[in-house]
Amino acid sequence: MTETRRVFHEELDAIRSDVIRLGALAGEAIEAATNALLAADLAAVEKVVANDRVLDDLTHDMEQRTCLLLAQQQPMAADLRMLVTVLRVIHEIERIGDLMIKVAKAARRLYPHEIDPKIRGLIDRMRDQAAAQLRLAIEAFADRDVARAAALVDMDDVMDELQKELFQAIFSVRSPDDSTLQLAVQMALVGRFYERAGDHAANVADRVQFMVTGHFSFEPSNADG
Amino acid sequence: MSNIPPTPLAPRPTVAPATEADAAPSPEADTDSPPVFETKQLSVSYGSALAVADINMYIRRGQITALIGPSGCGKSTLLRCFNRMNDLIPDARVEGTILYEGLDLYGDDVDPIEVRRRIGMVFQKPNPFPKSIYDNVAYGPRVLKMKVDRMDDLVEQALRRAALWDEVSGKLKKSAVALSGGQQQRLCIARAIAVQPDVILMDEPCSALDPIATARIEDLMVELKQDYTIVIVTHNMQQAARVSDITAFLTAAVNEATGERHGELVEFAKTATLFTAPADERTEAYITGRFG
Repeated sequence: MTETRRVFHEELDAIRSDVIRLGALAGEAIEAATNALLAADLAAVEKVVANDRVLDDLTHDMEQRTCLLLAQQQPMAADLRMLVTVLRVIHEIERIGDLMIKVAKAARRLYPHEIDPKIRGLIDRMRDQAAAQLRLAIEAFADRDVARAAALVDMDDVMDELQKELFQAIFSVRSPDDSTLQLAVQMALVGRFYERAGDHAANVADRVQFMVTGHFSFEPSNADG
Repeated sequence: MSNIPPTPLAPRPTVAPATEADAAPSPEADTDSPPVFETKQLSVSYGSALAVADINMYIRRGQITALIGPSGCGKSTLLRCFNRMNDLIPDARVEGTILYEGLDLYGDDVDPIEVRRRIGMVFQKPNPFPKSIYDNVAYGPRVLKMKVDRMDDLVEQALRRAALWDEVSGKLKKSAVALSGGQQQRLCIARAIAVQPDVILMDEPCSALDPIATARIEDLMVELKQDYTIVIVTHNMQQAARVSDITAFLTAAVNEATGERHGELVEFAKTATLFTAPADERTEAYITGRFG
């Protein structure tokens, strides 16, 4: 193999590693944003917002490096599919970071109201579910594992169920006055943000399917739907 | 200019039509275009050295078929089989069958000169004759004593088809050697077109050209496939990906007993499939630069 080609393959490996790193950063954002919301920690909210800049910068950097590789190396077959996949999945992951900013900022809007214990429990579970889905999607990408990618479809059903449960819990809160109505709206939105984060993770998995096989074999989820 | 209708080179009633059982593999969903060539167990040797072995493939009408593979895989040898150019190489031996329009191209009563008129060739290095631009184009029809109403019209038509007319119309009597490399190569294509071929074989036609001249030849290939079947050997995979409909990947296989190498066909598929999701791991390794 020529030196130019060796450098190309090293850069492919570096980009693959950075997708994993981006996924880890988004996972940390899910954790930090949820903690900020549940603890009503406004300083932590600021930190979540500031940390998102790291995700954005890494995403843009990866997009530029990928474009450069496409221009310089004209990759084919698995290399081409990997780079096209990277261009798609980095934005799915980056969007998860953006959604977590919205989750964290809900803490500001709710302050100083307490969140109902049942709703807190559901938010906890949605956090865990979103984090698990993202982790699985990133692992599937890293290991080029189609079977694990396909498992994401079932996991997304769990998230949808949690969202339904959350809505039911919101409606069951008694004596709706202005403040509880504000709480209810914010909680419904937060539930939606986790659900969309799960969709983005499922989209990553869908792209992994294409990256490995060159085909899409299961239905893409609709992150904007 | 319309394409000449495919007519048999010579009546060969003894050649049996291909059967389902021995048909060469064909890229999927590609049955609407009839095969111009079909090779069956095609092998070529130079003396005792086997160059390519057991090639089974189709070349389909109106398509551009690219032959790619590492140096020494036999792609140029295979290309030369399609117009019997290997006949001109001492000790070259062709075994197996090549059917052209269903007839044996290597049949005893087939005239290789007529074969090369029907199946023209453009080479790696532009090779205009040291004559005027006009005489280069008119050379083939004159030598073949083709019936031509007006040679001027034929020359103009061929130069137009080769996208060269606008650049040379005012200097047809000037020496062809004075043209740029890209113009010379288009002149060679015009020269090939002038004898009204059915198929044009191109052996790395852009490897001696700069990117702009290369792009013009690539555009020209896509235009020409409306009327001609084109087979191109190229080392430039991006070129194959850009211009061809079907790609055949050949590689050099090593005979474990003798240690000798010979070319073999690894994969033969629609170009879009071969370059994005190849079926064979040897194709994958080659086109991603991991070997060769």
